[in-house]
Amino acid sequence: MDTLLLARLQFATTTSIHFLFVVVTLGLVTLLVGLQTTWVLTDKPVYERLTRFWGQLYVINYVLGIATGVVMEFQFGLNWSGLSRYVGNVFGAPLAIETLVAFFLESTFLGMWIFGWHRLRRGVHLALLWGVALTAYASAFWIMVANSWLQNPVGHEVHDGVAHLTDFTALLTNPSLGMALGHVASAALLVGGMLMAAVSAWHLIRRTPDLALFRTSLRIGLITAALSITLVQGFGFAQFGPVGAVQPTKFGGGPAAEELIADWTARFGPGDYTPPVLASVGLGFMILIGLGLGLLWLLLPLLWRDWIIRLRFPLWLLLLALPLPFVAVILGWIAREVGRQPWVAYGLLPTEQAVSGVGPGVMLASLIGFSLLLGTLAVTNWVLLAKHAARGAYDPALGRRPTQPPADPRPEPAFA
Amino acid sequence: MELAWYALLGLFFASYLVLGGYDYGVGLLLARGADPTRRRALLNAVGPFFLGNEVWLVAAVGILFGAFPVLEGELLSGFYPAVVGALFGVITVTAGVQLRSRPAGPRARTGWDRVVVAGSVLAALGWGALLGGLLQGVPLHADGHVAGVTHLLTPFAAAAGLAVVALVAVHGATFLTLRLPATEAEGVGRLARRLVPVALAAVGAATALGLLSDRVRATAQQPVAAVLLPVVLVAALLVARAALIRRRPGLAFAATGAALALPVALVGAALWPYALVSTVDAGSSLTVADAAASGPTLRLLGWLTVPLLPALLGFQAMCWWVFRGRTDGRAPVYW
Repeated sequence: MDTLLLARLQFATTTSIHFLFVVVTLGLVTLLVGLQTTWVLTDKPVYERLTRFWGQLYVINYVLGIATGVVMEFQFGLNWSGLSRYVGNVFGAPLAIETLVAFFLESTFLGMWIFGWHRLRRGVHLALLWGVALTAYASAFWIMVANSWLQNPVGHEVHDGVAHLTDFTALLTNPSLGMALGHVASAALLVGGMLMAAVSAWHLIRRTPDLALFRTSLRIGLITAALSITLVQGFGFAQFGPVGAVQPTKFGGGPAAEELIADWTARFGPGDYTPPVLASVGLGFMILIGLGLGLLWLLLPLLWRDWIIRLRFPLWLLLLALPLPFVAVILGWIAREVGRQPWVAYGLLPTEQAVSGVGPGVMLASLIGFSLLLGTLAVTNWVLLAKHAARGAYDPALGRRPTQPPADPRPEPAFA
Repeated sequence: MELAWYALLGLFFASYLVLGGYDYGVGLLLARGADPTRRRALLNAVGPFFLGNEVWLVAAVGILFGAFPVLEGELLSGFYPAVVGALFGVITVTAGVQLRSRPAGPRARTGWDRVVVAGSVLAALGWGALLGGLLQGVPLHADGHVAGVTHLLTPFAAAAGLAVVALVAVHGATFLTLRLPATEAEGVGRLARRLVPVALAAVGAATALGLLSDRVRATAQQPVAAVLLPVVLVAALLVARAALIRRRPGLAFAATGAALALPVALVGAALWPYALVSTVDAGSSLTVADAAASGPTLRLLGWLTVPLLPALLGFQAMCWWVFRGRTDGRAPVYW
């Protein structure tokens, strides 16, 4: 095993696991903003309980997700020091902006939101959640700016082998950015909606108490998911044009791809400049899942007179379909990232030149260690989410009155 | 302009050590509490600040990447074991603090608390070893890359790591003296006072090993700063002890905080004008100016982020203000 392959495997593992957390965070926070705003505006207790219940799941996912994000950030310097050396002048800027103006504030707001129940005024408390959501989207924006630059390096000049920033607005108007950002954001909303609908469906199937509450969140989740799958499909297909134009080798051959490969062969020497077949396989399966999830629209009419709950089998469908969007987002990233190979910055920096000079032993130890750690975190996250989802909205720890004794030892959740 | 960004980088990393430092210090002290309610009280004291403290690390690395890309690559890959160790620690503390209160059983919670203790040690040890490693120089070759990772394995780097562990423990205990209800603050104040000599011994050992090491002596570009700042560090610890004895926890906390920020200032000042000093080839040492991103990038970052710095600090200050004072059971329990 050479260092390059190990570093790439580590990047794939870390990024995939990190993104599983990201979609849930981004999707749920959007729905939470809706729930808490409704609570503050209408003062209906059911929305307070919904905010606490979904907020608890959101916070579990967020805090464990931070851990994976920290690894992501350090990984660039640890494993890909060539990336910082040759293109850091351009690629580093959006990442630095993301940490300072987005993540920094997001976590600060969230800490105050978690501990601010019953202590801050309601309006301030709500404003904090809005702050969390807006900075989360700002974060997604800057990360996508950075990633789009790797897909299509623009706005720079190369002197002595090092890229220098010449035009920052070119990074913001990158053809590979706009539709991809919409695609990712609506995919996150789809995941949030599906998660909400599926957990509610589980409670409705089991006929746990709180029928009315989970009926409400089933409707919110399903409508959100249906609207977002259409957005996901729209932004997805809209990417083929602009991305295909700037990355001709991404979606298979063609005259433009052959011309580009001839140009690269002249400049960088002969080599295999077509991306691995894994990229197009991932793309194919993702499109299949995306089209399949379009059937969510068929469930919407069943919301009339609660037929969706009375018939029961639609609830099972929602529950069983929950893994699909998660599989699809991973496949989507495989298509985007593997489709960029053999370049780390498309047509500018070959992947093998970006890898750090550490030995394969160190890299292997790091790969195994971090994969185990992050894998454990992901599994723990899912077990915890499932347990807390199954426990129901009876008394989540989040937002519990300080005067009220915690319900410890809590009844064991009836999780089948 | 490079100097301003270097100072900002130092400010963010030092703030992380000061703020994250008491998270890890409190994490370490979980090892002492056999009583579950007491351990809960310790975590509650950190509670609202926990998420806001760690962001300083992420922001520091963001600045490192954006403003000093070449340094970022060589620093993180050149100190691979120290950085990975610290990272493991940071992650286990983050996850452990969150996870420990999810299961209701006391045994599971005790187990998770041990994970938090181990993570806290690892994080402090890793960052300490990184700072020590910077002071002893790295095998930076003419091709601009740091070769291998074994250069880190010296008694001085180990002593620096242990010194940061000791400093973090004092800092955490002092934080609790400031933050726990008055009835419990007495006991933890005594503990903090007893930990000060331990920290003094650890800092003294690291300083002595540094003075004895040829590599450290050769690496230090500004010997005056390299000797003066450890003296200031010792003075800060003595001030902390005196303040703890006089029951002035606020002053003591400021002093232990300064003791955690000073190592960063020491590394920055002692190596100046270099960011990384090469042990193999003096000409390959990396200056701060060479490590910085080119002019347009720094200007862009300056325009986009510097106007926002007051907002960043303001919202952090808001968090400290909202949850100021001793824990009184008015804030919800979450961790």
